[in-house]
Amino acid sequence: MSGVVKINDKQYPQRLREINSPPKQLYYKGNWSKGIFDNCLAVVGSRKMTVYGKIIANKLVTDIAKAGITIVSGFMFGIDAVAHKAAIDGGTQTIAVMPCGISLIHPEYQKTLYLEILNNNGLVISEFNGIFPPASWTYPKRNRIVSGISQAVLVIEAAIKSGSLITADFAKQHNRKIFAVPGPLTSLVSEGTAKLIQQGAEIVTESRDILKYYNIPDSRTIRKDKSVLKLSVLERAVIENLQQEPMEIDTLIRKMQKQSSEVSALLSLMQIKGLIFREERKYYVGSI
Amino acid sequence: MVVKISSIANTGLDVIGIDVEVNLANRGLPNFEIVGLPSKAVEESRKRVKMAIENSGITFPLKKITVNLAPADVPKEGSYYDLPIAVGILSLAAGFKLPFESIFFGELSLNGNLRHTKGALLLALFAKEKGINSIFVPQDSANEAAIVKGVDVYPVNNLNQLLTFFYGQMPIKPVKHNSTNNIYACPESNMAEIIGQEQGKRVLEISASGGYNLFLVGSPGSGKTMLSRALPGILPDLTERESLEVTKIYSASGLIPPGGSMVKVRPFRSPHHTISTVGLVGGGSKPKAGEISLAHRGVLFLDELNEFSRAALEALRQPIEDGHLTISRSKGSVNYLAKFMLVASANPCPCGYLYHPKKNCICTQREVEKYRKKISGPLLDRIDMYLEVPVVDLKGLSQNYKIGISSEAVRANVVQARSIQLKRFQRDKIYVNGEMNNKQIRKYCYLSKDVDKLLLRGATAFQLSARSYFKVIRIARTIADLDSSQEINVQHMAEALQYQMKN
Repeated sequence: MSGVVKINDKQYPQRLREINSPPKQLYYKGNWSKGIFDNCLAVVGSRKMTVYGKIIANKLVTDIAKAGITIVSGFMFGIDAVAHKAAIDGGTQTIAVMPCGISLIHPEYQKTLYLEILNNNGLVISEFNGIFPPASWTYPKRNRIVSGISQAVLVIEAAIKSGSLITADFAKQHNRKIFAVPGPLTSLVSEGTAKLIQQGAEIVTESRDILKYYNIPDSRTIRKDKSVLKLSVLERAVIENLQQEPMEIDTLIRKMQKQSSEVSALLSLMQIKGLIFREERKYYVGSI
Repeated sequence: MVVKISSIANTGLDVIGIDVEVNLANRGLPNFEIVGLPSKAVEESRKRVKMAIENSGITFPLKKITVNLAPADVPKEGSYYDLPIAVGILSLAAGFKLPFESIFFGELSLNGNLRHTKGALLLALFAKEKGINSIFVPQDSANEAAIVKGVDVYPVNNLNQLLTFFYGQMPIKPVKHNSTNNIYACPESNMAEIIGQEQGKRVLEISASGGYNLFLVGSPGSGKTMLSRALPGILPDLTERESLEVTKIYSASGLIPPGGSMVKVRPFRSPHHTISTVGLVGGGSKPKAGEISLAHRGVLFLDELNEFSRAALEALRQPIEDGHLTISRSKGSVNYLAKFMLVASANPCPCGYLYHPKKNCICTQREVEKYRKKISGPLLDRIDMYLEVPVVDLKGLSQNYKIGISSEAVRANVVQARSIQLKRFQRDKIYVNGEMNNKQIRKYCYLSKDVDKLLLRGATAFQLSARSYFKVIRIARTIADLDSSQEINVQHMAEALQYQMKN
């Protein structure tokens, strides 16, 4: 399904209509269902996300999506893509706001994700028609829509000069709630979020922080992370080391003072069991 | 007056017999010409022969001299026709009888001495095959030729010495093979000197034992090259059969030093990335052995794999699979052996600092993708083991640093694992686990139910292709061999799974 919704149409999202310069029309693909704009959370972040950002985005968005909140993002690679995907996995609709004409898929290699969004009751929208190409000035315009249709904006990882901070600026103008995820100060993509927190954005440490804002009671039973799986002594040692800090295999070998062959075999088995995973050369606890 | 002397012509590793016919005519102006498709080097032989004879104190005959290299339609190359031509002219001019059934071979220097000439081993092998008893070769090449038993190799120092021998004044004794001149390794870096890289060292041990192609990815300065250069030090010496194969290629390419003999060390070739396709795989209008053949039974190390020309890399695919390469040209085809271990290294991205703990990568996603695409999928598919080389953190090391395992100790493990494999493959035409085909895998790699289940789960979890599935079994077999274990157990299989490239 595709079509166009004009600013005076009844279906036009009310919150967006109230911002400073709302788009005159929204072209869309997918399912323009009635309730999709009721509860919206914008999730934005860096294209150069770190493994940390990926893990947090995945975890937070999946939980929030389970509560039925629509996830809005910009369909860029990095945090945007992870947010869309996590929303689908969490079983909710997601809205991708494009910086280009509605007939283009940008970036093109994320076509699988694009189709997945549409197949899961999601929506792709843009204020531009046809094959209008993306340009440096269309991204901020897109960001104003991302912020405009949502009640709140969650910034996961952002550099000081980034599109995510532009979105956050719009959120301030639009009087939206801003959530920011803290990160290590040594990371370039945590400088932006640190600045937001300094300026008064709310720190997010778990999904409940955001759900509270939407007045959704946390229905999850408190489940402690005590795995039912019985761990061997070595497995526990690995997990304890990795919980402290994700590390490369060589560091782990030195810390545990074991043979390389032994640790390699152990890590393989733990990966297969889903206890740990490997990303960017390092091993992390959990699964992704 | 005509005299006929035997010599050889070789193309690649193939040798054919050549008759050098020399005619001295009394009529006609003094002249010296060579016919029978001589190349430039053979043409120039006239000047060398004339000067060498004159400088040996013998008057060069002022007659019309014609040399025919028969069969006349085979192109002749190389400088080794100097000796047979000179011997032919001298025997006619001085009137002595030539020894029955002997081959002459060697390049002359202007002062009448003989120089080390490439291909002496091929000549000796040819002589043995044809039942020719004696060969005359330059003294410096004699030891190389003497590898072949059952042929009398006469070392010739200069023309005068040869003449006194023909006149029966002074005998030349056939040389005995001197194995102290065998060519052994002097490794460039010892494993004990490498700081950290525990997994890297283990991967080298496994790949050296099973003969696996290896791909190292890491930031600049992380130690990819250092690791690779430690490889020759842990490889076992060549076996008799392998050594002969390698020595033949080296002899044909003129890489055996004067007085040298069998190549016992596994070759380690590391061509620069500007190498041409022909330079890498061999060829040319007169087909020559390329780097891959010179790396036969050894290691071909391609540093900065992404920088090699695509054509050169794609040309590697077939020889990696077949273990040899046939080069066909209009003048005939040559078959070169090229069974080598490919060790390649690359940076993770154009700037080199992707995933670096300290430095920031400045490449865009698109640049990284483009960089990775330079290496084709089919080539990557032929890589058996994949290693991400981490950046060594010097500070952390100074506390935990202890001297690692030495190359000698690892080599002992490798030799032990290889001897198990040699025994296993007695009846097959292969030497190491890396060469096993699917049928041999089924025969030699029994997997118990638990191990099979683990492999299947691992293959799903790590998203392995069908080809990688078999790679993992081959590697697990080697890990079990290193452990002196008859059967492949869960530990072996789990470790093998760790060395595959993800998707």
